[in-house]
Amino acid sequence: MTEIKQNEITKYIVISSDKVLPADAAMKIYESEFPVTVKETCFGLIVTGSKEDVLSVVEKIQQMDKNHIFIKDRGFPAGDERRCRASRGGGPRPGFHFLREEVKMLPAIGAALDELEAKESVKEKHKEKSRLKVSDLEKIIEEELAR
Amino acid sequence: MSAEESGLVKIALVSCGSEYAGVQPEFEAAAARVDAKFIYPEIDIASIDTIGKDFGLEVASGDLRLMMARAKAVVEGTTKVDGVFITTCFRCAEGAIVRNEVRRYIHKHSEIPVISYSFTERTSAGTLLTRLEALTTIARRRHLLAREVQTGLTAGIDSGSTTTKAVVMRDNKIIGKGWVPTTKVLESADEAYSQALKEAGVAREEVQALGTTGYGRFLIGNHFNAQLIQEEITVNSKGAVYLAGRQKGSATVIDIGGMDNKAISVEDGIPGMFTMGGICAGASGRFFEMISKRLGVEITELGALAVKGMQENVNMNSYCIVFGIQSLVNSLAKGATPEDVAAAACYSVVEQIYEQQLQEVDVKEPLILVGGSSLIEGVPKALGDLLKIEVLVPENSHMIGAVGAALLASGYVEE
Amino acid sequence: MAKVFIYPVNSLILSDLVERFEHKPLTMMNQVREKVTNISLDSPPINITPEDPKIGLRYAAVEVPAGVRGRMSLIGPLIEETEAAIIVENPPANFGCVGCNRTNELMKYLVRDKGVPVLEVKYPESDEDARDFVNKIAAFLESLPEEKPDEDEKPVDEEPAEKEAEE
Repeated sequence: MTEIKQNEITKYIVISSDKVLPADAAMKIYESEFPVTVKETCFGLIVTGSKEDVLSVVEKIQQMDKNHIFIKDRGFPAGDERRCRASRGGGPRPGFHFLREEVKMLPAIGAALDELEAKESVKEKHKEKSRLKVSDLEKIIEEELAR
Repeated sequence: MSAEESGLVKIALVSCGSEYAGVQPEFEAAAARVDAKFIYPEIDIASIDTIGKDFGLEVASGDLRLMMARAKAVVEGTTKVDGVFITTCFRCAEGAIVRNEVRRYIHKHSEIPVISYSFTERTSAGTLLTRLEALTTIARRRHLLAREVQTGLTAGIDSGSTTTKAVVMRDNKIIGKGWVPTTKVLESADEAYSQALKEAGVAREEVQALGTTGYGRFLIGNHFNAQLIQEEITVNSKGAVYLAGRQKGSATVIDIGGMDNKAISVEDGIPGMFTMGGICAGASGRFFEMISKRLGVEITELGALAVKGMQENVNMNSYCIVFGIQSLVNSLAKGATPEDVAAAACYSVVEQIYEQQLQEVDVKEPLILVGGSSLIEGVPKALGDLLKIEVLVPENSHMIGAVGAALLASGYVEE
Repeated sequence: MAKVFIYPVNSLILSDLVERFEHKPLTMMNQVREKVTNISLDSPPINITPEDPKIGLRYAAVEVPAGVRGRMSLIGPLIEETEAAIIVENPPANFGCVGCNRTNELMKYLVRDKGVPVLEVKYPESDEDARDFVNKIAAFLESLPEEKPDEDEKPVDEEPAEKEAEE
């Protein structure tokens, strides 16, 4: 079983970048010589270590492509047996599915953050879908029938 | 146990809420004790979006949709398992609907044995043990369960919570019977076994194989060096269809024991779906003991009394062994006859079994009623009236466990 | 810095955005961490024991299923700390800690009932939506107070929920 240290934290670094590959990020951590455990996953990296170390590492990595690298806390340390697919007998852990859905959305979120940063778009008028007024519907019907 | 039997049994855990209710370790502990391992069927995430429509049941909770997707993976063979354990939180309506439908779905589309259970934070490994033992037996010992004829000289002891039963069988015939109240598990077993041996006129050493079942099965099985120690769901199903002469095809077995009751849906003598009640004494033989005492009759007389009475004449507002019996007794003061009260008592037990157990299994005829309470004539009558089907009570129906154990033990005669 | 409750409580996007705008996300992950790194407990996978659904009685009555109360024993303390909240409508794939819709309904209700600022947004389905989603969340987070006068002077909740320093 993975050794559990109570003062350690774990963060997910999810990389949705054109410039940075998970392997590059991992390399950067190895080079930095922070005493953290790094696990590469299909979405990015899982980093476990003391709070200070993990926060520093995460900060460093996120700066590689700020708006396209996302961070989330993780309850379980990297490779924890209780959540490991191999030892718990098939099927991914429950949180995996939602993470996968969110990852699909990251390019759009990243682009939005870029825009926000460039102050290109602050607020666009949000069009709420609402029920058509009867009078408007009548007008449309009349127009359509008149064609 | 043969090498083939000793392998690890893979059980798909199709559950909602267990990890958050504090019961997961209890599940794991029960599985480990019967040499089983839970696995979580792999699913295609894309299937989750459409599973409600595919399955035909649309629910709001993601983990319940996951259950349906996992059941589908099991049925389609994407994940290979030997059994399925379906479980959701007790008192969750959405969960209960999914649990029942998933259980039916697997039963309908596969041969894989299934059990279902609703847990609370108090559910313990002990509660689940008999159920999981039955599930793994079905997976592991199908060849043993295929036995339809008793051969050689064998014996079976059923160490129940209220009474201990023993039979000695030779060449497919019961030649000796013993039936004693359970006081001390070992002593009662010894006494019942001695009675049966005496009636059969054989010595203990002559018996070629012994099977034990019931609550005390491990203790007495080890004490008597039994060849077979088996939980009562498997044994009683086998015993019931054997005694009723309905070994082929479908059957439903209802066993009302001293402390609990079981409803088992059987196919060719092999249990498919089953449920065990054990929380409420109001649905057990104990209820009959109590009401007999209050009516001042022997429990053996209660049945004859009940068939003469009308349960409709008695207003019962609870199934509870305390409050229900109170209202039965009160009705005497309002003019109901002891016959009516006896009939109402039978109806009360049967109705509770109907509401709480029979909803979990598909009732297919013949309906075979066994266990000590089946001897109370009012019980099969009430059950038949309620379900509008004929209820079969085979001869020696109270000996069901001992007979089943002796029958299955004969599988070890040649070994 | 405000303590921001997020729904779904395990969201990567929400917890990242809250931190990006220099607030503190109140997440399930930290609650789970406290549980799973507690070496005095051994109730895998997430160390919820039969005691936890009893703690959950604080948020839901006994006739509420054990799975709901067990989850609430983790989420309830977060709600007690909540100073602002972002609730996302129709998120996809709600499993595990957010796998029970009854719990989700209850936690959202308790948050809304608290009277703290709440932003309700729809889960984005297109690039256009995503832009709107990010803008709304950014504006909301920017509207929250940046600095608490002093973290320690804040009235203490009856149940001290996880403090970062202890992790």
